[in-house]
Amino acid sequence: MANETLTRPSPPVIPRPQTRPWMLALLLLGLAVVYVYGWKVTQINLGQLMTNFHLIRPLVRDLVRPDVLAWVPRMQVARTAFRFTGEAPPPAALAAGPRLTLSRTVANPGEPLEIRGEGFAPDRPGQIIWIDQSGSSARGAAFRTDDQGRFVLTLPVPDLIGTEHRVSAEVTLPGRQLRFSVAAGLVFWRLIETVFLALMGTTIAVLFAVPVSFLGAKNLMARSALGTSIYYVVRTALNITRSIEPLIMATVFAVWVGIGPFAGVLALALHSVASLAKLYSEQIESIDPGPIEAITATGASALQVVRYAVVPQIVPPFIAFTIYRWDINVRMSTVIGMVGGGGVGFLLIQFINLLQWQQAATAVWGITIIVAAMDYFSAAVRERVV
Amino acid sequence: MRGAAVRVEHLTKVFPDGTRALDDVSFVVNRGDFMVIIGLSGSGKSTLMRCINRLIEPTSGKVYIDDVDVTALRADELRLLRRQIGMIFQQFNLVKRASVLTNVLSGRLGYVPASWALTNYFPRDLKALAVENLERVGIPEKAFTRADQLSGGQQQRVGIARALMQDPRVILADEPVASLDPATSHSVLKYIEEMNRRDGITVLCALHFLSLARRYGTRIIALKAGRIVFTGYPADIDEQRFKEIYGEEAVEVEIA
Repeated sequence: MANETLTRPSPPVIPRPQTRPWMLALLLLGLAVVYVYGWKVTQINLGQLMTNFHLIRPLVRDLVRPDVLAWVPRMQVARTAFRFTGEAPPPAALAAGPRLTLSRTVANPGEPLEIRGEGFAPDRPGQIIWIDQSGSSARGAAFRTDDQGRFVLTLPVPDLIGTEHRVSAEVTLPGRQLRFSVAAGLVFWRLIETVFLALMGTTIAVLFAVPVSFLGAKNLMARSALGTSIYYVVRTALNITRSIEPLIMATVFAVWVGIGPFAGVLALALHSVASLAKLYSEQIESIDPGPIEAITATGASALQVVRYAVVPQIVPPFIAFTIYRWDINVRMSTVIGMVGGGGVGFLLIQFINLLQWQQAATAVWGITIIVAAMDYFSAAVRERVV
Repeated sequence: MRGAAVRVEHLTKVFPDGTRALDDVSFVVNRGDFMVIIGLSGSGKSTLMRCINRLIEPTSGKVYIDDVDVTALRADELRLLRRQIGMIFQQFNLVKRASVLTNVLSGRLGYVPASWALTNYFPRDLKALAVENLERVGIPEKAFTRADQLSGGQQQRVGIARALMQDPRVILADEPVASLDPATSHSVLKYIEEMNRRDGITVLCALHFLSLARRYGTRIIALKAGRIVFTGYPADIDEQRFKEIYGEEAVEVEIA
């Protein structure tokens, strides 16, 4: 149905580069020298992997039995308030179960105090514990409940730091129960901190990276001499910033703002600004000019052109890059904790320094799970958005 | 000649790299014409189209649309004029991630306040008009589909519906069927022909295939290396003219 024009092409001439055998031999010799030197300078010694295996055997063994769950004795606990000075604390609301009453709720150290317990399990060993405002505890007297589940202790008020205390009676019940271990609890909260550390670092980075990315997009900036020079300055600054590892940045920020998650947030943010701005600006550079042309041709204003032709092209990839960056930052924040950047890495390095390998294993497994979960989540989001 | 829909006088475009894309081009398109522009790739067809609505600034020469000198308009006046010039592209130029309906509505942007863009607001009657225009091109059921989910032919029909939203007096169609297969080409060109006949919209359409130009064009101009080498009626292009336009070595090929 249609006519087409054809012109006969001349046969193509493909020049074939000549490889000389002696060049190949020289290349191979050069490579051999490089790798022999490399082997020597990095002190590669494969034999050590076998002969010294016993050194890491405990580590490997503890890695497969992390400290997550612990058998703890079942307890009955009753508490009541006590003050060394001032007014008597308000009486506690009456609750079902074991109850603790003191003969006086305000007293000085050395004065006699009668502690009365009732409603406990009969004939079980127990322990009085003094807990101060900060939560630290001191062991008091031991006791045993009678066949009615009661006990009475008369003892002098101990000389303790702090003004407000809680007196706690803990009675051990027969049998044990399975609870999350202390290490597991610590790791859990540090992992939460890690995820949020990465989130804050990423968010701060986005706020700076979005405007900077427009300055680093060649198609927008290379229209005037000033724009071109801004483009090169921005790109160079980004490349330099990006080449500094967040680990090094975290060390610097830990000195600056102190050890803790804030130093980690700053280190991740600074590094992420550079990487995100580069990714964003490459995205801006690669947008299809077609829709811009089409929307302009309808008589739309500049704002409308940006809203209907530019934004739809850049926002989904921006979201995808950002989620990916968050994923990377979660992974990185597990490491920067080791140099004082907060998060779970900080805990891990403490466990390692204390040779608590089972607890360290808990942290390692926690990191593995959270990183894998973030990886999956970010992949799923990216698939939906793009 | 007064009262022409489009009048181009001594239009020349030289790109910064020295390429002379248009060289002293003059022609007239009467109201209601289906003017086809033919010529090899690189002969200046696209540049000519874009000089008419100043997506590309001409180096010299004049363009008149309904006797308004386009080349003399200020930026805000140009925007108002562009509303009346629909444009259809070879690559459709839809916003791929947006819905078909949003793409069609975007044809109306020149008529609505810019602030509406912030919330993507369009009044109900405009949405109804958009659906009506989608019905005209036979794909109302695709309104809420993402534009990149459509086939090439369907995307070009969205492009036509977008141009219809502008209520245009002139349509510039830059090789609207060059990315489509022969059967789809005909269905798309029939919609453009219908706009031309039913709504009396003047059409300037660049085409590759001479047979399509003969079938749809009421008048033809031919460009070669930025110069007009033929102006006339479809029937006037014989073997001799053909070789002048496409070169001595060219052979007219029947495809389907």
